[in-house]
Amino acid sequence: MSRRIFMGIFEREEDILGAARAVRERGWTIVDIHAPYAVHGLDKVAGFAPSRLPWICFALGVLGAGLKMWFEYWTTAVSWPINVSGKPWDSLPAFIPVTFEVMVLLAGVGTVIAFLLSAGLRPGKRAVLPHPRVTDDRFALLIEEADAVFSPVEAAALCAKFHAVATEEYEA
Amino acid sequence: MMTTSPTYRLEETADIGLAQKWLSLFRVFMLVGAATLVAGALLGGDRFWSGLLLVSVFLVGLGLAGGALIAFEYLSGAGWSVAVRRVPEAMTSFLPWGGLGVLLVLVLHPSLYPWMSHEHHFAGFKAFWLNRPFFLARAVAYLVIWIGFTRLLVRNSRQQDLTGDARCRQRNVAVSAAFTVLFALTVWLASVDWLMSLEPEWFSTIYGVLFFSGLMSSGLATVVLFGLWLRRLGPWRGVINEEHLQDLGKLLLTFCTFWAYIWFSQYMLIWYANIPEETGYYIHRVRGAWGSLTIVNLLLNWAIPFFVLLPRNNKRNSRIIGQVAVVVLVGRLLDLYLMIVPANREASALPDAWVVGLTLGLIGVAGTVFWRAMKQAAVVPVRDPLLGESLHYHQ
Repeated sequence: MSRRIFMGIFEREEDILGAARAVRERGWTIVDIHAPYAVHGLDKVAGFAPSRLPWICFALGVLGAGLKMWFEYWTTAVSWPINVSGKPWDSLPAFIPVTFEVMVLLAGVGTVIAFLLSAGLRPGKRAVLPHPRVTDDRFALLIEEADAVFSPVEAAALCAKFHAVATEEYEA
Repeated sequence: MMTTSPTYRLEETADIGLAQKWLSLFRVFMLVGAATLVAGALLGGDRFWSGLLLVSVFLVGLGLAGGALIAFEYLSGAGWSVAVRRVPEAMTSFLPWGGLGVLLVLVLHPSLYPWMSHEHHFAGFKAFWLNRPFFLARAVAYLVIWIGFTRLLVRNSRQQDLTGDARCRQRNVAVSAAFTVLFALTVWLASVDWLMSLEPEWFSTIYGVLFFSGLMSSGLATVVLFGLWLRRLGPWRGVINEEHLQDLGKLLLTFCTFWAYIWFSQYMLIWYANIPEETGYYIHRVRGAWGSLTIVNLLLNWAIPFFVLLPRNNKRNSRIIGQVAVVVLVGRLLDLYLMIVPANREASALPDAWVVGLTLGLIGVAGTVFWRAMKQAAVVPVRDPLLGESLHYHQ
């Protein structure tokens, strides 16, 4: 299903911050913001939902630690019990370092993979840029046109107020 | 918002009525501590003196953490923490007080250290290192280095309030570089001297790092609590916000985890090797009542702060981060308690009245000395060129 997008292009970070704030105050929905670098406070102004990645990271960490702990217990105490310098077979302190490493490995690598999946960044993926200069020196604000309160004329006026260098409407 | 007037002082900005209530509480605690000190010096045995060593080392640790945080800030060029810097600066004035307590123990009750008695005969390096005159001279040298360097850092920082001279910052970067190196060496040696030599036959090469990690987590917890206190009293309203709390929370989380990592590193190697001269230290500490305290120690210093501070919103919530800071400080007391008291194998695990009285004294001294030090300068470094960045800080 395609939707109509209204896009404003800005030259300065103050302008994109101001424009994004004004758009939100009108009750319009911001689809996305493109900026050449991380702008402080932009995610707060845009009102995006907080990332779910930390929870994935935590769950993967718990999973990695649990699986590794179980695997070490199973190998040294159940499947093939080995007597190491007279220590008990289920010697927990000896399992901790490897458990820690596997927890960090699974949480770290898994979170990167989860990010790539959720962002759709597979190998060979072509970059979809709303404007060719958003990786260089332009800021792009993408507003959804589906809202009943949305008006392209007002949107153009709003963008002009924040010194937009261009506005455009397109199907995405 | 704050003004940029160079006379942005505590008396002008704080709710004095509310502050007075706190200060009288601190004065009562200080009196309790002083009474415990006098009574203990006259009547107390080993338990009193090990308690005095505990609270004194605790206080010295807070002062050192203050100095380390200032030095790390200058060396890394950190902007976010500049508005907070007056708190670690004030904490460095704990050093003479804690140092005095340590010296009292070393001079008045040396029998806390078994190697000071005549039955102990060491050979080689231990005989050279562990003898009374050299031991006392070292203690004085550590304190002189710590107090000297932190005074220099604080003086340059306060000087900048008056002159606005950018060279104050450059000078402090150089002082911080020298202090960081000396800090690493002296903190390691002092922990070996004052705490590890309570059991002179036992040794651990990671002991100094373990001491450092606890010192940093308790220091950060103290910065959080004093920061929240100053915000409630008024002077820091509009100065620190959730962004600063989140960064302090991140550092606190980091150092609690670092502490657990080092604690376990020491424990696991000794458990694994299972050599008699090393294992005795832990066998005594993981059995019976001491064993329960060891588990509580791991909960207070790592498990609780780690899982509570993990979510972003908990670090930004002043109530939650304040409560975690209290947990970490209680944990630090217990950690030092477990380092010091069981060195005497006959000692019972139950905390005695001496420790309770001395801990109240510790809180009283810390609060009073902190307030006096904060009064001596503006409540933020008003002319530090990075102050603006710190006040408008975003994550």
